[in-house]
Amino acid sequence: MLARGHLHPLVLLLRLLDSVQQVLFLVVAALVTQQPWLLVVAGVMFLVRLGTALARYLTLEYTLTGEELRIREGILERQERRIPLDRIQDLGFESTILRRVLGLTVVLVETASGRGVEARLDALSRQDADHLREVLLEARRTRLLAAPTPATGEGAPATPQPEPEPEPEYLVHRSSTSDLLLRGLTDLRLSAFVVTGFAALQLAEQLGFATQLQGLAGTVRQWLGQFSPLVLVALLVSLLLAVMAFGIATATLGNLVQFHGFSLTLRGTVLQRRFGLLTTRSKTLPLERIQRVTVEQPWLRRLLGLAVVKADSAGGSRAQGEDNAGGWDVVVPLAKLPVTDEILPALLPGIEATEFSWRRGSPLLVLRTTLQGAILATLAVAAFWSSSGAGALLALLLIPTWFVLGILTYRNLGLAVSPRFFALRHGIVGRYLAYVPTAKVQAVVVQQGPLALLLGLAEMTIYVAGGSPTRVPNLTIGDARQVAHEVAALAATAAAADW
Amino acid sequence: MDAAPPPVPTDRLQARVVGYWVISDGLGALFLGALLWFVARPLLQEHWTGWSQTYENLLLGACLGFAALALLLPPLTYARWRYGFLGDLLLLRYGILFVEERAVPVRRMQHVDLLRGPIERLFGLATLIVFTAGNEGSAFRVPGLSLARAQELRDRIVQMRGDGRL
Repeated sequence: MLARGHLHPLVLLLRLLDSVQQVLFLVVAALVTQQPWLLVVAGVMFLVRLGTALARYLTLEYTLTGEELRIREGILERQERRIPLDRIQDLGFESTILRRVLGLTVVLVETASGRGVEARLDALSRQDADHLREVLLEARRTRLLAAPTPATGEGAPATPQPEPEPEPEYLVHRSSTSDLLLRGLTDLRLSAFVVTGFAALQLAEQLGFATQLQGLAGTVRQWLGQFSPLVLVALLVSLLLAVMAFGIATATLGNLVQFHGFSLTLRGTVLQRRFGLLTTRSKTLPLERIQRVTVEQPWLRRLLGLAVVKADSAGGSRAQGEDNAGGWDVVVPLAKLPVTDEILPALLPGIEATEFSWRRGSPLLVLRTTLQGAILATLAVAAFWSSSGAGALLALLLIPTWFVLGILTYRNLGLAVSPRFFALRHGIVGRYLAYVPTAKVQAVVVQQGPLALLLGLAEMTIYVAGGSPTRVPNLTIGDARQVAHEVAALAATAAAADW
Repeated sequence: MDAAPPPVPTDRLQARVVGYWVISDGLGALFLGALLWFVARPLLQEHWTGWSQTYENLLLGACLGFAALALLLPPLTYARWRYGFLGDLLLLRYGILFVEERAVPVRRMQHVDLLRGPIERLFGLATLIVFTAGNEGSAFRVPGLSLARAQELRDRIVQMRGDGRL
């Protein structure tokens, strides 16, 4: 037995505040409308919530042994969850302002199940959480030492580390405030609004405003109903502009708040990230769990030579270019390009010694994109002919536009296969780099749709654990087969070495 | 197709899978066609004033199309399906309009299922379902295997993984 504990007693205070917040609206409503039965409802709700919280606090017990993390809870409905240490991908800490003041932190246990967070301990004292993490890392290390071939079936060849004393922690990267400021200013995507809105909503929730905000939205909708369409359009346009300006300003602020004091450190083979101003987050990421590393440069950042580095672990999943809520997958929030290149070896050991010989995609992709543009243009002309006559011919401009897009795509597309890494470079105006360790490859697929069959093109997809497949469209079928076969053979060799 | 084409899988499915597909997938299409012709057509004729011979012909065409698909797709699918082992890799290749080629390292497989539905059992067929880690594209099936062959493949995968830990 290595660690065992309960939730921190101050959690009860948090729950009490939560419950008060929950029923506050009802109480106010009861006082305003003079309906005493609402008070009774509020009282019952309050007691029930507090009761469940108390029951959970009294019964929840976690135990960490050399093999597994066990979490037991419940009075009437007993639940015991056992998570084998092998299966724990990450341990994340999350702490809102209130919890921070009380010295508490939420522990998030992440497994490869795809759901992300498997278990949530809300909340432990900082010391208990740190202890839990230490013990977990220690247990993992002794397991690696005892069995050089990890039983997960997906780990990289384990490098035994003989030193038994606590390993030193190296700083890999720290974001300066100006980095984060730039990140906000260059964040032009819609998700910036979402992140900001999310942060604002979180803040509102912490302060207990959420229900009031909903009521406000309803009032605004009613108020808008009384204007004439023209005024409404003008109003909407100016509102949109204001929102955009506001968005850029708040995105900057949001980024500063979210990634404040971002630091990436390496201890042994475990990366650790710490960041956040209001809600502080801290997350470990064992190197052998990294399934893919991407260096992303949307157009504005590419122009300025800036990039974001993200690492996919088997726990979460996301689409290319999309931000996970909370920025869990971000490894470097923003840095100048040469700096990001220096960080890569810390994430993917061995990449510094790898020579990538880049190959191009097929120039036929320009033809395909142009054909797609032509099909679109034909459809658009046919659709608008009856209503706008010859003006519909403007849609023919789609063809040269798509042609240019095709050329840009071709110019940016490149791929390289080396014994340990598969690398992909793609983008239209932005530029995205992806590195997949061949040892993590789960399957390689080559696909051809009807148009691709006609042109002899194919799309290759490389699957890793965790739902972030790497797609390489627009290869010739010969190249696609060749590369797919190479990657699959390398993956099979790496898999054989794991056993 | 190329100067030095990478190896392609060569094993074919059991030919009787065509019969199984006609019954399992084709019957649905046939049923839909019959439903359109024998139920929807009289209803439309009766209640819709715009009904004309042209529509009737179109509907007949659609129904015949359904029937043709039900009978044509299975043999085409069968003709295109290939699978096989290449060292530590399981290779699959299938699809008519959308062709897919898949290579999976056997040691990356998480587990293997053998599935035999009632109609499949009548035909003496089995489907092998293989799971790898990950959410998307993590499970795939090899249909139309004889039971003996499916068991052989499963045992081979277990054996290749080296320790029978499946």
